[in-house]
Amino acid sequence: MTIKHCDYSQHYRPRMAFTKKIEALVLEMQDPDTGIKTQTQRLVITTIPHAMTGHDILEWIINRLQILDEEAQNIGNLVVQYGYIYPLQEPKNLILRPDGSLYRFQTPYFWPTQQWPAEETDYAIYLAKKNIRKKGVLEDYEKENYNILNIRLNHKWDFVIMQAKEQYRAGKERKKADRVVFEFQERAYWLVHRPPPGAPNVIDYGLDRFSDPNENQVTQKKTFDVYRREIIFNQHSMMKSRVKSSVSLGGIVKYCEQYFNHDPIMTGCLPSNPWLTDDTQFWDLNAPLSEVPTKLRVERWTFSFRELLSDPRGRQDFQLFLRKEFSGENLAFWEACEDLKYGDQSKVKEKAEEVYKTFLAPGARRWINIDGKTMDITVKGLKHPHRYVLDAAQSHIYMLMKKDSYGRYMKSPIFKETLNKAILPEPTKISESKFPFNKRHRRSSPSPVILRQLEQEARAKAAATGPVDITQLCKFTSPIPHLTVYTGFCEPTSPTGTALCDFPPPSPGLMTLPNSTACPSPICVAIESTPASERKFEPSSISTRFLSIAESTEMSVSSDSSTAVVKETKQPSHKSLVALSFSRFLKRGCSNSPIFATLSPKCPAVNSGKVQPMNGEPQHQPQHNHHHHHQGQQKTKKTNNFFQIKVDIPSECRIYPIDSGDEEEEDCPNSVKNNTVKEVICPWETITEEGKAG
Amino acid sequence: MHIQNIKVANEGTVNSMKTREECKAYVDALIKVIACYRHLATSVGGSSDCSNLRDELKRTREKAQDFAVANRNKLTLCLRDKNLPKDDRVEMERLWVSFSSSLELFHADMCKVFEMGQSFSFSSQNNLFVQTGMSGATSDIAARALSVQNINYDETVASMDRLEQKDEEEQIDKVDKMIYDIEMKVNVLRWTVEAKAPMYTDPLSNDTSSVAMLSLEDDDNDQCCDRGQVIVSVILCVIAMVAVVLSVCVVYLA
Repeated sequence: MTIKHCDYSQHYRPRMAFTKKIEALVLEMQDPDTGIKTQTQRLVITTIPHAMTGHDILEWIINRLQILDEEAQNIGNLVVQYGYIYPLQEPKNLILRPDGSLYRFQTPYFWPTQQWPAEETDYAIYLAKKNIRKKGVLEDYEKENYNILNIRLNHKWDFVIMQAKEQYRAGKERKKADRVVFEFQERAYWLVHRPPPGAPNVIDYGLDRFSDPNENQVTQKKTFDVYRREIIFNQHSMMKSRVKSSVSLGGIVKYCEQYFNHDPIMTGCLPSNPWLTDDTQFWDLNAPLSEVPTKLRVERWTFSFRELLSDPRGRQDFQLFLRKEFSGENLAFWEACEDLKYGDQSKVKEKAEEVYKTFLAPGARRWINIDGKTMDITVKGLKHPHRYVLDAAQSHIYMLMKKDSYGRYMKSPIFKETLNKAILPEPTKISESKFPFNKRHRRSSPSPVILRQLEQEARAKAAATGPVDITQLCKFTSPIPHLTVYTGFCEPTSPTGTALCDFPPPSPGLMTLPNSTACPSPICVAIESTPASERKFEPSSISTRFLSIAESTEMSVSSDSSTAVVKETKQPSHKSLVALSFSRFLKRGCSNSPIFATLSPKCPAVNSGKVQPMNGEPQHQPQHNHHHHHQGQQKTKKTNNFFQIKVDIPSECRIYPIDSGDEEEEDCPNSVKNNTVKEVICPWETITEEGKAG
Repeated sequence: MHIQNIKVANEGTVNSMKTREECKAYVDALIKVIACYRHLATSVGGSSDCSNLRDELKRTREKAQDFAVANRNKLTLCLRDKNLPKDDRVEMERLWVSFSSSLELFHADMCKVFEMGQSFSFSSQNNLFVQTGMSGATSDIAARALSVQNINYDETVASMDRLEQKDEEEQIDKVDKMIYDIEMKVNVLRWTVEAKAPMYTDPLSNDTSSVAMLSLEDDDNDQCCDRGQVIVSVILCVIAMVAVVLSVCVVYLA
């Protein structure tokens, strides 16, 4: 059955609220004294009264509403578009021309309303009538619609045709002028409500509601709990701090004033608006990590600490500064918290543990300085980690950075240098092209895959320059090859930089290979090897063992890289291949391999067996072909630290055979079995504590 | 209002033809009146609005309602007949669909007229009617509507209803309920109904009145001569020719 048009309580939330306003205006126009003067329209033989010129309408609107020309034009256009006034000479062009073209008012029956939208049946009848009148000459889109309607309304097609005939005949009873007017009216109505293709559909207001928004939807059974919740909710709302409107308005004004020059819409943007001039320099210059930021951008960093942190380039600069000040772990921690909050929640547990191990545990690699109470809360919360578990600590660190480091940063030479280097782009010259139909050279933006690769290379490069700095801080704040923005942590600082680590560096004796000789095979060779046997720590002859292990590892790595299968090949090979595979292996992010912890310039003081290598990414190893440049650095690091191997490995051989899947986040939960010493154990984890890392 | 007596009419196959014709006539009449009503409705609030128009509207409305009621009775009667032969049933269903669609159209028109009538009422002081360009009287249309023959139907229809209901709202409600009722009473599956009418039809099959003279192109407004004017001009030409001939004769004779 034809579903009767249901209101669905639309009148509670009228979509076409403009109808009342326009109707009032249109009715005022009718006034014989103050309304619009009408003239007659002369057709070939007939004359029809009540026509107006567009100019008159416009004048009237200006006078009545006391507005400017442009606005009046706009309003006039709206009135015509919605069908209250229709043009006589160009019916399809629904705008108000400010010249002498004629318009006429639409009869109220055909005014747009929300309650009675234009029905399909009516449209079918109209098209049938037109068909009859013009003997089959319809416009294309009308023909199409007609066919569609024929299919859709097939069951009532009899009625449609009959009604069309009857209406047509009844129309004949009128006098001719009226007939003409009626046809005008109908056509205007359907041009508004069924616009031809290409014309915008102004009547469309989106979906109808299905329920009354004011109605009480759910009648909850008023239990004790419901009331209790209500009470708590109301209490909380009372406790909410409120700001005086004067204060908040003042804040808004200040904000607007401050940012006025930085808003590309209010004040133009400097090279030029790319949408207007097709010159994308603006976007290039303001890329998230651009080499040389613009002056405006740098100026924005001085507004507030939040601005600095939210701009990736600013963060980079800040991080550089922090490195010099040896307080980079703050920023690293903050970023880790952000990652926890906004990152992949399936890994929340692992991430939380990482954070704990790296930043919060007493004696952690990059211990942050927060007060005891916050630490307590955080550690307690970490037992059941969720998104916001680190919020308290994060805000503490944030305030610390803001109050302390930010000020110094603003005065630091780093910032001053950045400020000096910042550029002020030239406005683009708009060449007056002689040919209006110049073929614009449109470049497609680079593929995101390529962009990401470039980004990672840039990061790696930046990370590579790191070794010069004593603190290899925040490897993930500086661009890291294949890490997502916030995952992973910094690799520990190199041993020489222990002073920089803000935790008491373990005694040399403690700085050892986190893992032992056992590692190599288990790590990469994994599967077949018998990890157990190799998990013995042999303090002696570590170096040599090490080398051999490394070599064998590398061999296996190389083979591993070629095939996903880990084979146990222990033939030493050429150094180059070793190096190559070694670096690749490193990139695999074998967190399990303590070797690499030492080999890479990480601080072997990692007491947690789980050292996240710099390029800590789970083993996606074979495909990192674009990190070749990285190998060189790795090599040097390797050689550097090769001789820094210390004894007494806290053999927390969290050496997971690679194939056993868990890449990154093999963390303390699983690990912690036979840890000898200096094992950072998450306090909520093990029951038997073998001792915490000192 | 419900059907007084439900006779499972066994009009029989003998009369099936006749009933079909009758029903068709009913429906046609209803459609005609509704078409006229719509024409009248479009004038409400416009420059040709006047109390006459309201009156005509009212009368047309009442007529339409009469027809609606008659239709309803007749069709429900036929359709509830279990012994109706298949062809008849198909035809009846088609008519039924036409009937219900026309009722819906009528209902919508009535509601619109009601609301517009309230905004553009004659009672208020400053009644501004929209200058729509319509100037003619609509009495012709009304006459057309009202001239539809009152088909003799079983007077169980209770004409007393009409006498009682003067209020528009009540009428609207009545039609509303009718629409609902008819759906409840007779179950016609819309998707099984196939229309017979052609897509492109010539309206003038029954109508011997004037050929469409008025053709409105999109942009240009020149119109063909009206038929009346054609006749007039022809007559004038004839007269002129006669005069010429006479003068020639006079010249010859003189």
